[in-house]
Amino acid sequence: MSDLTQVQIEQRDNVVVARLTGELDISVAESTGRKIADAVSSSARGVVVDMSGLEFMDSSGVSMLFALARQVGSHRQQLVVVAPTGKPVSRVLEIVEFGRAAPVREDVEAAVTVIATPQA
Amino acid sequence: MRDLPGLFEVRVKARSIAYLFAAGASLGLLTLAFPHTDEIRDAPLIVLAGIAYAIAAAVWALADRIRDWHLHVALAAGTVIISLANYYAGPSTLYPILYTWTALYGFYFFPIREALAQMVFLAVAYAVVLAIQDADMVVVDWLLAVGTPAVAGLLIARLLAGIQHHALELRQSEERTRLVLDTAPDAFITLDRDGCITTWNAAAARMFGWRRDEAVGQKMRELIMPPEHADRHDERRQALVDRDDPLATETYEVELVRRDGRRFPGEATVSRVEAGGEVFAAGFITDTTERLRRQAEREALLREQAARAEAERVAEMVGGMQALVDAALAHRTLEGILRDLVTQVRGVVAADTATIYLADEGGRLSVGASSPGGGEVGHEFAIWVAESREAMLAQADALIGVPLLAEDEVIGVLMAGAEPPREFEGEDLTLLRLAGERVGLAIAHARVYEREHRIAETLQRSLLPDRLPDLPGLEVAARYLPAASEAEVGGDWYDVIPIAGGAVGLVMGDVAGKGLAGASMVGRLRSALRAYALEGHDGGRVVERLNRLLWTEAEESQMATMLYLIVDPAASTVRWVNAGHPPPLVMSRGEPRFLEGQGSVPLGVLPFPTYEEVIARLDPGDALLLYTDGLVERPGESLDRGLELLAATVRDAPNDPQGLLDHLLATLVPAGGAADDVALLTLFNLPVPEEFSAEFPAEPESLAPIRSMLRRWLAHAGADDIEIAEITTACGEAATNAIEHAGTSNGARFEVSGQREGSLIEIAVHDRGSWRSEREDDHGRGLELMRTLMDTVAVQPGEQGTTVSLRRRLGQPGGNAS
Repeated sequence: MSDLTQVQIEQRDNVVVARLTGELDISVAESTGRKIADAVSSSARGVVVDMSGLEFMDSSGVSMLFALARQVGSHRQQLVVVAPTGKPVSRVLEIVEFGRAAPVREDVEAAVTVIATPQA
Repeated sequence: MRDLPGLFEVRVKARSIAYLFAAGASLGLLTLAFPHTDEIRDAPLIVLAGIAYAIAAAVWALADRIRDWHLHVALAAGTVIISLANYYAGPSTLYPILYTWTALYGFYFFPIREALAQMVFLAVAYAVVLAIQDADMVVVDWLLAVGTPAVAGLLIARLLAGIQHHALELRQSEERTRLVLDTAPDAFITLDRDGCITTWNAAAARMFGWRRDEAVGQKMRELIMPPEHADRHDERRQALVDRDDPLATETYEVELVRRDGRRFPGEATVSRVEAGGEVFAAGFITDTTERLRRQAEREALLREQAARAEAERVAEMVGGMQALVDAALAHRTLEGILRDLVTQVRGVVAADTATIYLADEGGRLSVGASSPGGGEVGHEFAIWVAESREAMLAQADALIGVPLLAEDEVIGVLMAGAEPPREFEGEDLTLLRLAGERVGLAIAHARVYEREHRIAETLQRSLLPDRLPDLPGLEVAARYLPAASEAEVGGDWYDVIPIAGGAVGLVMGDVAGKGLAGASMVGRLRSALRAYALEGHDGGRVVERLNRLLWTEAEESQMATMLYLIVDPAASTVRWVNAGHPPPLVMSRGEPRFLEGQGSVPLGVLPFPTYEEVIARLDPGDALLLYTDGLVERPGESLDRGLELLAATVRDAPNDPQGLLDHLLATLVPAGGAADDVALLTLFNLPVPEEFSAEFPAEPESLAPIRSMLRRWLAHAGADDIEIAEITTACGEAATNAIEHAGTSNGARFEVSGQREGSLIEIAVHDRGSWRSEREDDHGRGLELMRTLMDTVAVQPGEQGTTVSLRRRLGQPGGNAS
């Protein structure tokens, strides 16, 4: 189902914020990842994937995030994921230890701050 | 001799006797004036004459009061006086004469018996006088002397009476004639040769106002003729009288004058009458005022009837023209309009057949519609008309035709014919041309409308889901019934939107606006609603945003009523927002109730209305019904009555989605179809089984329904939100594996089953492929998730495929989470 996951793209100070809603499984994972990747221009400093509105995510979603992290990393851009603690998505990210690939934050503000702060 | 009572008036008799006495007395005195013998004594005679004079004077004076017996006494007294005078005067020839006068009077005026009695008295008196004067007189002389006056009186009186009798009869006859003429309703007038009136009946008196005695003897021309016509009338009458035909009669209309000067019309029937050697004119005159008035009335009535018939004919023609215009404006199919038009045209031009030829893109004509008897008649002629672009008349074939134009293009030909043939006239052609203008307009309009209608219908159809989603644990069904009239594509729409987390959105709406505009607005609302719903907005916000859309973007003031419901089968709830729509119905344990409360204004009415969600329970086994007003609104009935009827119908309906909707349509929609569109949508929240086993196609799209089903089943089994999320995630991984195993082979299926024992949940995913321990692209994260989130994960490869069994005991901290 193409509209199982919705992606809303927003630009904030040269940072792309992609807000996901709905459910993310293998039926939509690949297309969702592509939508986000397409929205990130070469001039953007990074991308925030906001999963606070996502009801469900499985391992295919995790794979999508890993792939996205690799992709933006290769362009010297940064990926930050928003997943509030206690929600199903956050639990999945914990289990697969996604934190090793990219930072996970509680809200969009915090995520944008991560990118805005120049890395040491 | 007959008695003729009433022949003489007593006055006449009295005066006659007075003359008699006076004459007798005068004669007696006259004899004294002549020389006479001294033997005659004058004095007694003079006294007797005086007495006679006195009686004469008295009778004359009292003539009006005298009675018959007075006359008898007077006559007897006369006899006595004559006898005394005779005695004193001596024998004289005078006295037999006087006796004869007396007898004459008696016989003339008295009935015969009374006259004879007087005669006896007279004879005795005369005889006595004779006896005294001459005792020697012989009997013969005596009889002669007495008999002479008696017989002479008798004969003369009889003769006179005969004459009187004739006169009387004549008078009576005249009287009868006069009476007859007087009873005649018409005036009867006779004229003598000089034109003087001789007869004037009662009707004439009434008609002209002149009495008979006033009219008779007058010149007619001066009495009743208008001066300016008098000469002409005289001439005409004279000509009639002078004619040699004894039966000449003429009737002519005349104007006549009444006594008071008023004039009136009359009809005179004048005849030439020849009587007694005299020729005169007799005429009946009738007052024709009334007759002429009635005739005028009748003529006026006839004229009015004729005028009315003409007016009706014109009205019918104008009405026919109007019907053509109506057809032009009615939103109908072209076919229907053509059928109507040929009928109407026939009425307008009073033709027997009418045919409309339509031109195709190449300009070829074919029959679009024709009245009975029309058909292919005059095809050649129609081509001729189309080519010339002029109204034409084919006299020989009794056909007329006009080209049908739309924006200067010949789109067809309108033909009318007469059967049997009659000659068409210029007026017919004018009418047909007028009709043709309207027919052309109607056809052009219908074509535009048909195109629009087709687009709108296609659009409308495309907006309704052609297949409702399969929702685990839920069963939905819908019906859309267009209005009975072919006129409009309705603005009704419904939708079923699976929402993240296993919820499902139900939409039922009605855009007030038909046709293309309505359908396109439905389209925009529908896609906007889908987008807002999937973004996970609260129902109230979704509807507020739709209102905004309609308020800002709709043409003119478009409005829509709408229901938006979010059914969460896992939570057994329904949240709903009502924007001016008839309330949804919940059937819970066989009892229908409406979800009332928090209804708000329809969309597009206010710029910033607030719509709030209301929540109610929707337990497994319950059902929802959404509908548009076409189902519950009936002309002349309140909406409440319609809702009552709906609830009652639902109560008796079969307890399955298809059966319910079929029953509602069969019961509530009239046989001829509903006046408005009817849309129906029902959702059954199926009972949750203790165990389940379901097959799914081996494709990624099966995952979301499986999750929905599991969430619902788990919620029913008592799992909390976190447990539901974790078990669902784990099972999703197993299902994803099963789908991956099936590869791209079409039609492959896998099975998901679940059971529980107390708090122990066991879910098995069974596929028919071969197990691969890890997917290549996820680095084994699926299996990792399963193992972490469940208590145990068992993979059993077998010849019939692979079964993955997942177990977890509820109420314990998160599986193997570390």
